[in-house]
This record gives sequence, C-alpha cells and structure tokens, in this order.
Amino acid sequence: MVQLGSRLLKSYRGGHVVIRFALGGCANRPFFRIVAAHSRRARDGKYLEQLGCLDPLPNAHGERVAGLNLERLRHWLGCGAQLSRPAEKLLGLAGFLPLHPMTVTGAERLRRRRRAQEAAADGSPGPSDAP
Amino acid sequence: MAALGAWGSAVAPARLSRVARALWAWRARRCLGQDAGAADGGKAAKPSFADEAVQNLLYKMTGLNLQKVFRPVKKELKPPKYKLMTEAQLEEATRKAIEEAKEKLIMPPVLNEREPIDDVLAEDKFLEGTESTKYVFTDLTYSIPHRERFIVVREPNGVLRKATWEERDRMIQIFFPKEGRRVIPPVIFKDEHLVVHHRTYDDIEKHAKYDLLRSTRHFGGMVWYLVNKKKTDGLLIDMIHRDLLDDTTSLITLYHMVHPECQSAKEAKEGKLQGVDLIKVFVKTESQKEGYIQLALQAYEEAMATSTAS
Repeated sequence: MVQLGSRLLKSYRGGHVVIRFALGGCANRPFFRIVAAHSRRARDGKYLEQLGCLDPLPNAHGERVAGLNLERLRHWLGCGAQLSRPAEKLLGLAGFLPLHPMTVTGAERLRRRRRAQEAAADGSPGPSDAP
Repeated sequence: MAALGAWGSAVAPARLSRVARALWAWRARRCLGQDAGAADGGKAAKPSFADEAVQNLLYKMTGLNLQKVFRPVKKELKPPKYKLMTEAQLEEATRKAIEEAKEKLIMPPVLNEREPIDDVLAEDKFLEGTESTKYVFTDLTYSIPHRERFIVVREPNGVLRKATWEERDRMIQIFFPKEGRRVIPPVIFKDEHLVVHHRTYDDIEKHAKYDLLRSTRHFGGMVWYLVNKKKTDGLLIDMIHRDLLDDTTSLITLYHMVHPECQSAKEAKEGKLQGVDLIKVFVKTESQKEGYIQLALQAYEEAMATSTAS
C-alpha cells in the first residue's frame, strides 16, 4: 500500500509538461494515446490529460485514424507544454502546426536513397543520374 | 351543460417539440456548414422553406382538423377515456388540444441535398512516397457540433484535404458513438428518401389526393415542392372545389414569393389584387389547366351567389 501511494503521489524536482505519445495495446498491435504528462513520468504512467489517440495500423478502409482534442491541446500549449518530436510531426501532418522540418528532410533523404538504389540496381550499362 | 369528451391516445407534447427542435437544428447547422457564403445572397433573391412568411402561409394552408390530427395511432390500443366536464373545462381542453395539434403539425424541414465536400487545405508534393496509407485526423473537441467538426485527411501524395461525407460519418461514429448508430442522419434527410418524397408528391398530384395530407405535417413540404416545380394547378382546383378561398390566395402569394419574375406576380404587385381577382390573373398567365380552373371558379361563384341569395 505504501509503495502504491508513493508511485501515485510522486513529486518531482524540475520537469515540465510535455505532450507526447503513450504506447498501449498488445503484442504486435501498438496503439498510441496523445497525452499531456510530466516529462519525468514513465511513458505509459500517470498523465495529466489525454488529448487524443493515434492508431498506427491502417484500418479496413486503408486509413490510419487519429483523433486530436484541439481545444485542450491549445490550452496545454498555452500553459507552456512542450511537444515531443513524433507529436510535432503528427501535428504537422494534421495541419495544426506547420510541417516539421524533419518530415521534409526525411522525405528528401528517402527520395535520394531510392534514387541511389535505382541507380545501383540499373548497374553500369544504365546512365547514372545525378541527385 | 356537461359534455363528454373522448380522448384517445394523447402524445406528450414535450417529446414532439424536442424532435421538432432537433430537426430544425439539423437544418440550421447544415445551412451554416454548407452555404454560409452564398446563403445571404440566395435567400434574399429566393425565399427558402424556413422563412417566416413562407411558414405562415404553409401553416394556414395545412388547416387544423382536430379529428384527423388526433386520429388514434395504430400502436396504442387503450380504450378511449371518457371524461365528464363543464363547458369551461371543455373549452380549456379544446384549447390545449389545438396547441398539441400545432406541435404535431410542425413541418419537417425541406433540405437541399448534401453537396460533396471537395476542399484542399494544403498541397505538399514533396511528401510523396513517404507514407503508404492516408491519415485521418478528427477534432475531438466535445463542445462543437458535428457539422462544424474538422475532419481532414492527409493523403500519401502529400495533399491535405477535408474528409468526404462518408469519412466524416464514419469518424464521428467511431469517436462519438450513439445508440443504434444514430449518427446516420435521420431518415428524412437521406437523398434516396428525398427522391421517394418527390415521387410521393408527384403521385399525389397526379391522382389529386391532396386531402390525404391536408392536416398532417407533410402538407407544407408537399406544397413547397409543388410550388417549386410549378405544378400547382391540381391543388388550386382541389382548394376551389372545397371552397377554401383563403388557402387559394395563400398558395398564389407563396407562388409569387418563390417565383417573383413570373408575369402574374408583376401584375399582382402593380394592381395589388386580392382574392378572386388574384386567382383570375394567376389562372390566365401561369396555369396549364386553365379551362378546369375557370370552370371550378365559375361553379364556386355560382354557389356563393345562390347561398347569399337564399
């Protein structure tokens, strides 16, 4: 009982509010909850408020469903919460925030890698295209 | 003098008004969501179903036949209750019955069909190829009505667009489930059912069975449909046969409101005609079955003459 109490009534030194993903679900079946929590808390531990969810696996209609409580999100951002990188990328994709630069960079890197692979696959007879 | 009143099943007005208010809220929100920009210009030029004047006219035409409105509904099988009341009590009960009848006669709103949503918010072509499936983002704010909820889709080719109606309905059902999948909008609003409505109205008009709907809540919708399609002649004849002159004038006024550019409307405005003259002008310019209407009018006038004479 005392251990349970100490886990729930933890007081941290420092730390700040972050909006990040908390992983849930089962084996080979992830499910993320978008959560406002203390940065020092465990990833799946006690959070301040759940602001949404994301299902990374596509459903029967081929879409990845995500829900975002924008009003509460705005409230927490107004309170000075920070965002984790995946959360920022997701909000960039959603259009709530501008697109994250790493998304753009990632896309470019992927394109470059693919082109390099195609060039390598063509081999020497084919002309090598400059990136 | 004591009187006996037999009241069959009385439907609670509270339930009806809630249904009516919900229906109207649907309509208002749809107007807001869809044609916010075009609505003001459109409504000024062409009166919509919800305008007060239109509603008044339609209500007057619907009539208030208490016997028909409170016709026992098939499911309730209670034997009628007989109450002994004084004159005053009977008047009071009649007044209350009229109020309830008014609630029952609130017309289900006539809506435009749902236009497909096709709005692109952003195009980021360089994201092409990073993802294989699309993302659907739903705004989960509790307090906003479903019609105004932001539901956007980020396609694998990088385009950020608003979700289609089917996607919207699905997402709202996922996140805000209602019993019996009530998220499918009430049956009246589905397009196939609208078509069924139109076909019913056409059939009624063909067989001239307007009286079937006369004191029900569907009369207003039927009249609105007929006026929009300019098929009002049968209804006119029917009204004249039943000596409902006021209804005829209301019908013609409504017609002028909806089609202000037609000739009879202009003549009516110039001459400020009333009553029978209005009908005559309308019949001369607009109707196809002129002969019938003239005959009916003549018969009516003869009947009036004989009744006043005798």
